[in-house]
Amino acid sequence: MATVLFIVWRESLEAVLVIGILYAYLARLGTGRRGRAWLWAGVAGGLALSAVLALVTMRIETDLQGRALQYFQVAMMGTAAALLTQMVLWMHRNGRRLKGDLEAELDRAVGTGSLLAVGVVALLAVAREGAETVLYLYGLGLEARHAGAWALGGSALAGFALALATAWLVARGVRFLNYRTFFRVTGVVLLFTAAGMLVSAASQLIGMGVLPALVDPVWNTTWLLDANGRLGTLAAALTGYRPRPSLMLVLLYAGFWVFVLARLRRAPPDSAAPTRAGAAAPAPAPERP
Amino acid sequence: MSKTATGLRRVGRPALAALALLLAAGARADTLRVIDLAIRDARFQPTTLTVPAGEKFKLRVTNHGPGVEEFESVDLNRERIVPPGRSIEVYLGPLKPGRYRIFGDFHPATAQGEIVATEHK
Repeated sequence: MATVLFIVWRESLEAVLVIGILYAYLARLGTGRRGRAWLWAGVAGGLALSAVLALVTMRIETDLQGRALQYFQVAMMGTAAALLTQMVLWMHRNGRRLKGDLEAELDRAVGTGSLLAVGVVALLAVAREGAETVLYLYGLGLEARHAGAWALGGSALAGFALALATAWLVARGVRFLNYRTFFRVTGVVLLFTAAGMLVSAASQLIGMGVLPALVDPVWNTTWLLDANGRLGTLAAALTGYRPRPSLMLVLLYAGFWVFVLARLRRAPPDSAAPTRAGAAAPAPAPERP
Repeated sequence: MSKTATGLRRVGRPALAALALLLAAGARADTLRVIDLAIRDARFQPTTLTVPAGEKFKLRVTNHGPGVEEFESVDLNRERIVPPGRSIEVYLGPLKPGRYRIFGDFHPATAQGEIVATEHK
């Protein structure tokens, strides 16, 4: 039962963390109820999509359907990674401006496009591991029909509650940070999440034979941190850490960070006094693949 | 916006060419050797599967039930859900010789196994 608790906690943690940070962003942007409505709509949509994806997974008959589902998952993770990265870059450019009395203007600057992006990210973050959790619990439920279905449900709920508590702690914790540190810390967390999604998407494509692995594996750091252990599983889920990555994964992971760091350097945090023109800076629009 | 568009165009052509090449490489791979692995009662059969090193192949994982399983390997960077009564195929390799742990993420207590990649004798 401890395993059930841990698995549900681990599977929900990423989504709950992302949602916690988005919530904090919206609070700092002063988008109020309008922003939160988009966020919760995304979460609800993510839960619904999880159920649909779980059902689809169980009903897949042909190879073609299997591949279609895999492409869909890759698209989900790719879109989520792109949107998250874009949000962090936008926050990096505009974070300093979010101080104090410009809230009303910012509220206008953060257009519906950005809030839609927030909703979509929440939806994808939930649906990414949600379907798997649904299938996991469904499978266990079938097997445990007579033996301890209640204990099972209890453990699952406890795991989910623990994930919520973790996110709440994080949200509480970052509230006391000053603006600079707040955006730095949450930005790093979200970028690692995006990198992890990118690695998962690429692994999926390699497993489908679409991308070559090149050299598999390039190295082995299991001695340093074993991703089969609990700490290692968490690192794998939250940062994209892989102890025995293929060259393709290493190249993509490195490429992601080179791209992000270059963008961060090119657009240093805006330290100039905020201007009207500044407040109307373009909000992140969802990227079209 | 226009700067982004120019950038996209600049990056776009080589990226598309690279993608086409990769897709071609992927499509060519369909005459690969298929190696079977079964899951029954939340256990792998066989628990140790020997595969050729340095060769691309397809691993066909068939779940004979009764439960849903997720075939997973941290060492090989693969995870796929396998509903009971179904098979999935995963491309693997070319692998360096070595031992790679596999497990069923939904039954980690019992579903443990190993893929051993060995050179041709």
